[in-house]
Amino acid sequence: MSAVQPQVDDTGGTPETAAFRLLGLHKVFGEYTAVDRVDLTVAPGSFYGLVGPNGAGKTTALSMAVGLLRPDEGRSLVFGVDVWEDPLSARKLMGVLPDGLALPERLTGRELLTYLGQLRGLDAKTTADRAEELLHVMELTGDAERTLVVDYSTGMRKKIGLATALLHGPRLLVLDEPFEAVDPVSAATIKRILNRFVGGGGSVLLSSHVMALVEQLCDTVAVMARGRVVAEGPLAEVRGATTLEETFVELVGVRVGGGEGLSWLAS
Amino acid sequence: MAGVLIRMKLTVLRHTIAGPRATWMLTGGLVGLALAAGTIALATADAAPGTVLDLLAVTFAIWAFGWMLGPAFGGDPVLRAEQFALEPVPRTRLALGLLGAAFVGVTTAVTLVAFTALIVYAARFGVLPVIVSVPGLVLQLTLVVLLSRLAGRFFGALSRSRSGAAVTALITATMMVLSQSGWVVFIALDVVLETGFSPTFSLVVRLLPSSWAVLAVEASARGDWLWTLLPLAGLAVLVVLLVLFWGRLLGPRRLARPVVRGSSAQAAARRADRGPVSAVYVKEVRTWLRDPLRVQSLVVAPAFAILSGLLPLLFDATAFLPFVGAITALMASVTCANLYGQDGTALWLTLLLPGTETADVRGRQLAWLTLFGPLSIALTVLGVLLHGDPALWPWALAATFSLLGGGGGLLLVVAIDQLVPGPDPHKNKNSPLDHGDVTGQAFVMLLLALSVATPALGTVLAGELLDQPLLVWAGVPVGLFVGALSYWLLGAAAVKKLIARGPELLYLMRAGKEHEGQVGAETAVLKAMPRHRRGLLWTSFFIGCIALFPQGLVPLGMKLSGDIAKVWFFPLYLPDGLQWPAIALMLVLGLAAFALSGWVYLTETRRLREKLARKAAERAERVAAEAVPVG
Repeated sequence: MSAVQPQVDDTGGTPETAAFRLLGLHKVFGEYTAVDRVDLTVAPGSFYGLVGPNGAGKTTALSMAVGLLRPDEGRSLVFGVDVWEDPLSARKLMGVLPDGLALPERLTGRELLTYLGQLRGLDAKTTADRAEELLHVMELTGDAERTLVVDYSTGMRKKIGLATALLHGPRLLVLDEPFEAVDPVSAATIKRILNRFVGGGGSVLLSSHVMALVEQLCDTVAVMARGRVVAEGPLAEVRGATTLEETFVELVGVRVGGGEGLSWLAS
Repeated sequence: MAGVLIRMKLTVLRHTIAGPRATWMLTGGLVGLALAAGTIALATADAAPGTVLDLLAVTFAIWAFGWMLGPAFGGDPVLRAEQFALEPVPRTRLALGLLGAAFVGVTTAVTLVAFTALIVYAARFGVLPVIVSVPGLVLQLTLVVLLSRLAGRFFGALSRSRSGAAVTALITATMMVLSQSGWVVFIALDVVLETGFSPTFSLVVRLLPSSWAVLAVEASARGDWLWTLLPLAGLAVLVVLLVLFWGRLLGPRRLARPVVRGSSAQAAARRADRGPVSAVYVKEVRTWLRDPLRVQSLVVAPAFAILSGLLPLLFDATAFLPFVGAITALMASVTCANLYGQDGTALWLTLLLPGTETADVRGRQLAWLTLFGPLSIALTVLGVLLHGDPALWPWALAATFSLLGGGGGLLLVVAIDQLVPGPDPHKNKNSPLDHGDVTGQAFVMLLLALSVATPALGTVLAGELLDQPLLVWAGVPVGLFVGALSYWLLGAAAVKKLIARGPELLYLMRAGKEHEGQVGAETAVLKAMPRHRRGLLWTSFFIGCIALFPQGLVPLGMKLSGDIAKVWFFPLYLPDGLQWPAIALMLVLGLAAFALSGWVYLTETRRLREKLARKAAERAERVAAEAVPVG
């Protein structure tokens, strides 16, 4: 645990300066503790990667943090605003892309963005301009103009999801597995947009289990395993002299399977 | 093959049986058993054998229709051919295996009980007909199971396109009306038992394959061996053909899904300045017009209502015509009650957009009312004009207004409170019929919507009874008022529920089951038990009350005392021979329902006690662990 950044305690520090803070988030499903008192701090302007094996509790932690799943215990603050106590203000500050959830499926990309702009209270002109720009940047115009979201490919779904998260100009983006099952071209587009967002002063928290990607994009990382955060800090400190993948395997404390048995396979 | 698939199905069922599925399986099983007992009672009816034959033929046809309708309401079967697409198994063998697995289930067991009516009927004639009836029973059961699977396959393939969905809706509505009006026969049971059916009707019914087994039994009683073997052989050939046909269908999907296109860039951005309710409204109307599943609901309601009005015209009865509009409104609320479940996890957007719950509920209400309101009112006006009796105006208008308003309000409350999770729309775009089992939800909606209509209809009835024309007509404004009030207030209640339970609903749709909340020592059992368990407890308690007291004990007393007033005591309307069995049946049903609710209460109490003990033990363990100093 040498790479763990000194934890800022709950009362001290300057919570309003943190873009996103998770304080002791805890969730139990029946007998199973999915998330075990997780603390995370995303500094403003940082590109923060949350890594962990499947089932580590990343999605559950992020769902609680953004207000989609009620935590058993703990709080979540966006620029100092409590997500569960003052949801209205908190939700204006952040854009969220959950993994694998449905959208209003029978709308085209532009119809969807127009709909969300109206719900967000943006005026018609702003909505139309931003929708045009976002669709253009995400390459969802032209042939795809009249395609309904239900007929989008996985990469297109991620891109329109990212567009919905960016539409209202948030200061914080929370993205759950934004690169899952996305083709390299779409992934490159998403990466460039996220880098521009951070370059412009925005903060990003993304979860992934692709280590190379997190190494390439993020400046800060946290490692989750079995519902707990086992390491958190600047990328260089967490990975030390090795690669993130090696550090990760060591931290998570799992034995890498696949070495024994299966003698009948291709014999 | 069949053995493996049956074990697999049982394993899947064991893992899902705890959910709301079990609740409806049990209630459905109870109701089904009552119907099965009714079918067997018919076989013992005291009438000419030919008449009994026709009665049984009609009943078996109704059972067959029920099986064919099942897939439209009950969602997808537990085992589907797609799951085995990559296994190297010949299709016909797979079809046989799936058929074997399809026999394992509550519905099949109940139907088997009902079809023993065939043996009971044969027993009237002697040993030989009983021997004939056994293969007849097996073939007939196989036939309905096969028909059900094929109908599910057929509807599934059709409903991928909007026009196909509309056709499915028309077929579904027709079958619903037919199987429903089949019971008209039983209202006139007394007359039928004496005079029998008309020759044409009897011929048509006997031509249906569901009647062939009973025909064979009857022929064997007459010693007519040609007509004994012919129907049985016909059934066997039909079953073989259907299995082969099903096997062929199990291959890769044949019909491509037509792609629906959205609006152009200019049209998409139009009317973007009218606020959040209008945004939801536009999104909903677009969804209604583009989603095959919604198109189906859009067509089923008016199709069912119009057919219900037209069918009685065959007997020169026009009584239903004025109510076609009201039935449209009623069916529209019943078939659309799973609005949130159909949209799946898209709910996350509503939860994350600050303060849009109100717009979401109101926009959906408005879209529903736009699509069904003018239609229902137009059908009401048309129906009353065609019927021609102005005395029916207040009845029809009062019913239509209160059902439209009440439906529009209840719709959202039920959609949130009784949400049935299903696959997300983007995951089942190729099989829109794979949805959760909405039967229970539909019944809840039906009962609630009818109860909203009672004040208005009660006013009209009171006016008619007291002979006060003004009071009769007062029913119309009462209907409007109650309708508007429920539309508004229930909508507000739905908003409150959505705000309070939003994250829990999303969890329900993500996980497919409810999340067990915090349980404390002071928690009451009734509160702590899962919602579907509580639903089962109250439903069976209610059924118990109705069956045991007014339908069982009261008629019993009347029969014993000889002082009979039929009123609404159902068993007393039956022919003499059936009254005692019906009373006994009601008593058994009532006791069984009470036993079921008692059982639910006891098991839930035990479960809560165990859970609390476990939690206490865990807490003690944690405290002990924390007390140990960490080195």
